[in-house]
Amino acid sequence: MGNISYEFPVEKDDFERAGEASSKIKKILRQLGMDSGIIRRVAIGAYEAEMNLVIHSLGGTIRIDIDPKSIIITAEDKGPGIHDINLAMKEGYSTATEKIREMGFGAGMGLPNMKRCSDIFEIQSIVGKGTKIVMKMNLKDGD
Amino acid sequence: MSNELNHSVILREDKCIGCTSCLKVCPTEAIRVRDGKAKIISERCIDCGECISICPNHAKSAITDDLSLLKKFKYKIAIPSLTIYGQFPSNIGINQILASIKRIGFDEVVEGRLGADISICLIRDYLFKNTSAKLPMINSNCPAIIRLIQIRFPDLIPNIIDIETPIEITARITKTNVSKKTGLDIKDIGVFFITPCTARVTSIRHPIGIAESYVDGAISMRDVYGDIVRNLGDNNTSDLGERSKESLLWPIAGGQAAALGIENYLEVDGIHHVIKVLEELELGKLKDVDFIECSACTGGCIGGPLVIQNPFIAKNRIMKYVRRTDELQCTKEKLNDYIEMYKNGFIRLTEEILPKPVMMLDKDISKSIQKLELVTEILKNLPGLDCGICGSPTCRAFAEDIVNGENKKAICMIKTMNGFKTKKI
Repeated sequence: MGNISYEFPVEKDDFERAGEASSKIKKILRQLGMDSGIIRRVAIGAYEAEMNLVIHSLGGTIRIDIDPKSIIITAEDKGPGIHDINLAMKEGYSTATEKIREMGFGAGMGLPNMKRCSDIFEIQSIVGKGTKIVMKMNLKDGD
Repeated sequence: MSNELNHSVILREDKCIGCTSCLKVCPTEAIRVRDGKAKIISERCIDCGECISICPNHAKSAITDDLSLLKKFKYKIAIPSLTIYGQFPSNIGINQILASIKRIGFDEVVEGRLGADISICLIRDYLFKNTSAKLPMINSNCPAIIRLIQIRFPDLIPNIIDIETPIEITARITKTNVSKKTGLDIKDIGVFFITPCTARVTSIRHPIGIAESYVDGAISMRDVYGDIVRNLGDNNTSDLGERSKESLLWPIAGGQAAALGIENYLEVDGIHHVIKVLEELELGKLKDVDFIECSACTGGCIGGPLVIQNPFIAKNRIMKYVRRTDELQCTKEKLNDYIEMYKNGFIRLTEEILPKPVMMLDKDISKSIQKLELVTEILKNLPGLDCGICGSPTCRAFAEDIVNGENKKAICMIKTMNGFKTKKI
């Protein structure tokens, strides 16, 4: 059983390259011949995670682990960490500034969207240290 | 051989010197240089014609139909592309051009504006409000873009407007009318498109979205230009007839969005720019746009690989006509006719547009994962310069070609050279 992993660094405030990691992930999955349904879910999850790293974090990485049964996306950053995870998970809640919102980001849907497109969603955060999000998508037969 | 059957873009081996110009511009990585000659990977080629435009040795060419094909039909109709108006100096009138085309051997010349006007009315006054397409809608008339979407952006297939192209609409209506008028069988009526576009040639032979094209042949504008020039008569009228401003604008980048009167549109031309925009769209970044007008060629259809004039000059000429022409009037009655034709499938894309997963490494996911592992491993040993000297467009493509068993002989020159440099004597 083969498995394969890729890691993409994501810089804080790097709006110009934002979306590049998700784009590359999408290309890889397509090359692997995955079903478009699973590709869409992974791409949304990866894109939301990537945007969160750009907007909210001090920088971090997006990692993807692929095996024939599942895809795991791991987003890990160097801080600043989330104070209240339950609040952050609420739809529409965002700590993004007014400027970021005007740009069309920070709608408070990032984390809920990530959860929605994953089969297993885990989030750990330590204030001052960083946040780690793990999204697992299972490949069903036919996917 | 299969390439010649399926595609309009071909390589003339005698002229190819094996340079890498075309490798780098191909948007679907469909070209390899093997044994000193460029090769087109048939299933990847979208017939955009980028390689034709860039080739310094004119080794890339297009197979189009020959005028001799006219003999097969009892009644011959020419539909010149809307780009034709920009191919002649302004002192030569539109009617003069059309009369000359007729003299080449046609019974009738019908302008593509017939279909363009219908398309514009229908999209503007009906489809835009009642569309089944996802927003933002993507225009359906650039065949290279449709194929690009099939291969690289299959998620965007539902965004394509399901209406036939102006040329196909013109062909359908004209053929039906002529058959009624003359009593001839549809089979005896030949419709020939005078094309600036290589992708359109392929679409006539292998249509996407419809079962069969009503166009019987595509004649390259380049091939027939000399005949048109020779047959030009006197310019006795500068009358622009019933031509609409909108149909004149259609072949110019941005012209469709302008013709459709859509405020919130995005216009992008040149296939590599289109790819950038579609990548953003695919990521869900363009939620605030209603209509995306994509043209594979720079400048729109007037920048097609088979035109004569530079697209900027052609635009200047067409714009002179545009300023003198009235806007399209679409009456309610006409619109209802068009809606009817759309609903009964006569001018609609009735066949499903399917994704073409040609970039896939293997049908079996486990195997393709193994292959990708191997690709990644090989890539670690390559310089990453994407120089193309090996004959593959990028280092990544080089690795993929090895894994897929296609690349048996090619070597990385840079790596070999470095090997010599570090060798201890």
